[in-house]
Amino acid sequence: MAKEIHVRIKRQAGPDAKSYWEEFKMPYESGHNCVSVLMYLREHPVNAKGEKVEPVVWESNCMEEVCGACAMIVNGTPRQACAALIDELQQPIVLEPLTKFPIVRDLQVDRQAMFDALLAVKAWVPIDGTQDIHRHAPLISPKEQDIRYLFSRCMSCGCCLEVCPQYRKDARFIGPAALGQVRLHNSHPTGGFFKEDRLHVLMEPGGIADCGNAQNCVKICPKDIPLTSAIGELGRQTTIQWLRDLFVK
Amino acid sequence: MDVSKPAPSLLDKNHFALRRVHSLLGIVPIGLFLVNHMLANSTAFLGASHFNHHIGLIHDLPWLLWIEVLFIFLPLAFHGILGVVIALEARYNQNRYPYMDNWRYTLQRVTAYITIAFIAVHMLHYRFAHWFGIAANYGDAHHAAGGFYGFTIEGFQSGLLGLPTWVWIVIYAIGLAAAVYHFCNGIVTFCITWGIVIGDESRKRLSLAAGALGVLMLVWGVVSIYALATVDPETITDDSVETHTAYVIEAPPGSS
Repeated sequence: MAKEIHVRIKRQAGPDAKSYWEEFKMPYESGHNCVSVLMYLREHPVNAKGEKVEPVVWESNCMEEVCGACAMIVNGTPRQACAALIDELQQPIVLEPLTKFPIVRDLQVDRQAMFDALLAVKAWVPIDGTQDIHRHAPLISPKEQDIRYLFSRCMSCGCCLEVCPQYRKDARFIGPAALGQVRLHNSHPTGGFFKEDRLHVLMEPGGIADCGNAQNCVKICPKDIPLTSAIGELGRQTTIQWLRDLFVK
Repeated sequence: MDVSKPAPSLLDKNHFALRRVHSLLGIVPIGLFLVNHMLANSTAFLGASHFNHHIGLIHDLPWLLWIEVLFIFLPLAFHGILGVVIALEARYNQNRYPYMDNWRYTLQRVTAYITIAFIAVHMLHYRFAHWFGIAANYGDAHHAAGGFYGFTIEGFQSGLLGLPTWVWIVIYAIGLAAAVYHFCNGIVTFCITWGIVIGDESRKRLSLAAGALGVLMLVWGVVSIYALATVDPETITDDSVETHTAYVIEAPPGSS
């Protein structure tokens, strides 16, 4: 086992600064993950050449792969840094920020575009009253609950956008994450009230028609969300909506 | 996604419809035309008279130019132009993420470019060559030695652009392979786009079926090209070709 942990980090002092690579070495301890290594480097901000440097900036919260904050590219693969265990990674471990979002600093990116997309598609279930409406919650079959659960696990980490050849900063495509949430919320008895609104947003430029069927999203998703099935399902829903718009309105 | 855009352009307003029409045109009429075209080519196996008769029937269709323009040229132009616009959006990453489906995505666009180039060559070769004075008048192809069959063989063997027959065969085989891949993979993306096929299992089954169809069409097309390119034009005499009676169709009166 290696006596030290060797990390190579792509750094950038600010949104418009030039990026550069910096290497770090720390004593080996078992059980480390990429976030705990970054925590160590924050306490010991000394690079491999022994120079004291600005600590590396990154984001993280939950440390159990459910919050999505620490998404970054680890050895070429977009994933959650907290779930990337050092003992399972080839060294030197290369850490890069996600490339599809504006960089704030070092490994921290601004994923506002993801939240804008969720707003655009109304990715929520509207409440049906602020007072007691004397009704039970609407029923959902256990089978559908199981499928919906998969989509509910999306943590907006952005890995699917990172690998999508159709998604980029300056393009209009809304990206697979938001499509999964449309699938989720359209299938909810109350959330379905917004179904037509959501589908109409998906029929605008940057909507579902901009998916290129590369299917990378479903392969990289750390939560195994069936994104391509969502896209197929929404293809069907928008087809029906389109025909309805053409022939019923 | 920009949600605070001012008045959308006409193209933006019809974005979804344009993309869906693009998707549909790839299957109907373009895909159907491809299959029909390959079927016509393969009548060469039944002999010159069958080939000539079959192509003659097509040429005798009423409003042929309108059929050509409305059901071939315009759909091809629409599918091709919007297709290039779509393909230019791609930021290929199959080297970084070498999943098979990602390669299929990239190949779908690469074969699109190859097919566009090939169709241009093919149409100049057999449809518009007379414009440039480098081939017999297309309209007079009936009257070429050996009829349409002779006209087709001549196209491969005349050393057009100084290229020997085998180079033309290779060009056509590449063009055929690109068109067949684009069509068969396009069947899959068509089914995903329209929501005909949704789940992973169904998509896998469809991909296998489309792959099998692709192999079949490729073999079918290559042997047709070979058959049409390698016959000795001197040996073509329309009536000397032996035919199985089961396939004989009475030639229309007045044709020879």
